[in-house]
Amino acid sequence: MSLWQLEWVRLVRSRRLVALAAVYAVFGLLGPVTARYMGDILERFGGDIVVQVPDPVPADGITQFTANANQIGLLVVVVVAAGALVIDAIPEMSIFLRTRVDGVGRLLTPRLVVSFAAAAGAFLLGLLGAWYETVVLLGSVPVAELAFGALLTFVYLGFVVALTAAIGGRLASVPATVATTVVVLLGLPLFGLVDAVGRLLPSHLLGAMDSLLRGTATWTDYLPAALLAPTVSALLVWLAVRWTARREL
Amino acid sequence: MIRVRALGKRYGDRRALDDIELTVPDGAVYGLVGPNGAGKTTLLSILAGLRRPDAGTVEISVGVGERAVLPDAPRFDKWLTAREVVGLAASLGGPVDPDRIVAVLEEAGLAETADRRVGGFSRGMLQRLGIAATLVSGPRLVILDEPAAALDPAGRREVLDVVARMRGTATVLFSSHILGDVQAVCDRVGILDHGRIRFEGAVSELLAGAGRTVYLVRVRGDARRVAERLSAREWVRSAGVAGEQVVRVEVTSLAEAEIHLVAALAEIGLPVISLEPEAVSLESVFLELTR
Repeated sequence: MSLWQLEWVRLVRSRRLVALAAVYAVFGLLGPVTARYMGDILERFGGDIVVQVPDPVPADGITQFTANANQIGLLVVVVVAAGALVIDAIPEMSIFLRTRVDGVGRLLTPRLVVSFAAAAGAFLLGLLGAWYETVVLLGSVPVAELAFGALLTFVYLGFVVALTAAIGGRLASVPATVATTVVVLLGLPLFGLVDAVGRLLPSHLLGAMDSLLRGTATWTDYLPAALLAPTVSALLVWLAVRWTARREL
Repeated sequence: MIRVRALGKRYGDRRALDDIELTVPDGAVYGLVGPNGAGKTTLLSILAGLRRPDAGTVEISVGVGERAVLPDAPRFDKWLTAREVVGLAASLGGPVDPDRIVAVLEEAGLAETADRRVGGFSRGMLQRLGIAATLVSGPRLVILDEPAAALDPAGRREVLDVVARMRGTATVLFSSHILGDVQAVCDRVGILDHGRIRFEGAVSELLAGAGRTVYLVRVRGDARRVAERLSAREWVRSAGVAGEQVVRVEVTSLAEAEIHLVAALAEIGLPVISLEPEAVSLESVFLELTR
């Protein structure tokens, strides 16, 4: 069994892959349905209150999915990634691995790649479900914008995984890593209140899908963040390796 | 070969290791003993590359890929089977030989549970699995922290046999607080106390160096009278009752005792059941050095 197989087995046998895929798939299937029938739902449960809901457009189906995916879905991604990336969470297990390889990088690489692939795969699964239902219930969406929006979300997921790795390398505790990563992810958009900074932040990419599908932004609006996020991710991975390697067990 | 020179390590104000000097020759089985908190785990962790020393040097003539470390309470991902854990250890050490994996699982007494997930393993079984994972890649340096601590007497004996079989093929550095285990399998021993090495060398040198000129005499009758009579002799340093009908006689030299002791006992006139030099154990030497 190689370190790559170990990560795959970890995802499958610990049911983390199922949890990840299920969360995104459920949101993918429910998002367009919610968007299509929101008016009916509010009318059914609103009582005497009359709520005017504009007629849904195809972009609403995908947006409903991404809104949920970017909250609950991201939380699950952080939990799954932290479970793999906090190498020193259990020192006895860490000793077994760290004393048998030349460097921490060899241990972290498969964990980073597999965690990212699982997150991206789960997002893609949910997106495909949302796209199919959107086409059936609300009409077609522009494919190029959808694909570019997905690509930018992958870049953001890469940043999330790298951030989890860096924080895990520093804290060496899964719960503390999850909590800190979530706080950082929630706090990051606050910097976006300054427009010049906000356009550069990885969190700016979260709104890309919606804006691209509605035509309120073009791909060039996201280019700075799309270029900066991988650079920041690379820096975070370097920190993860450095902090993990420097920890004494 | 491991050579440690002037090694020091502090945790805040506390000095965990102080001016440690030790040498472990290639192929030796080296026992590191010491009371709790003596610094054994810190020293092993530094040698394993898991902690950094504050002072001194460590030279190890074996590459990282040829080393294996077993912590005192090994743990593995609970959803892996025993075979997969050993397979993972093998793959990290080089090309994997499936027959070798089977062989080490059998040697560790885990052949029947090889395909069970380790989440349900007892501490003793995890210890055996750790031993199997340690041996599978044929390391040239093996660092074992209390490898037999969690095992029952039979399991401990098996682990000690495994350690003894490694002599000559691998260098084994082995910490234990069970001194009998160290005495049984180690060629060399280091006694660590309060972060300092109190003795370092061959087990036989340690025992010989600590050899005292003490005899135990078992008599039939009044042992107290024998002790009093012997105390009066000039070649006797001290004599006292050391148990029911047992007299403990410390003499000034073995040569003097060999000449005079039997005659003195005959003169006292009480029947002598047995007469033997007091055995020196590693435990007694250890207690003396760390007192």
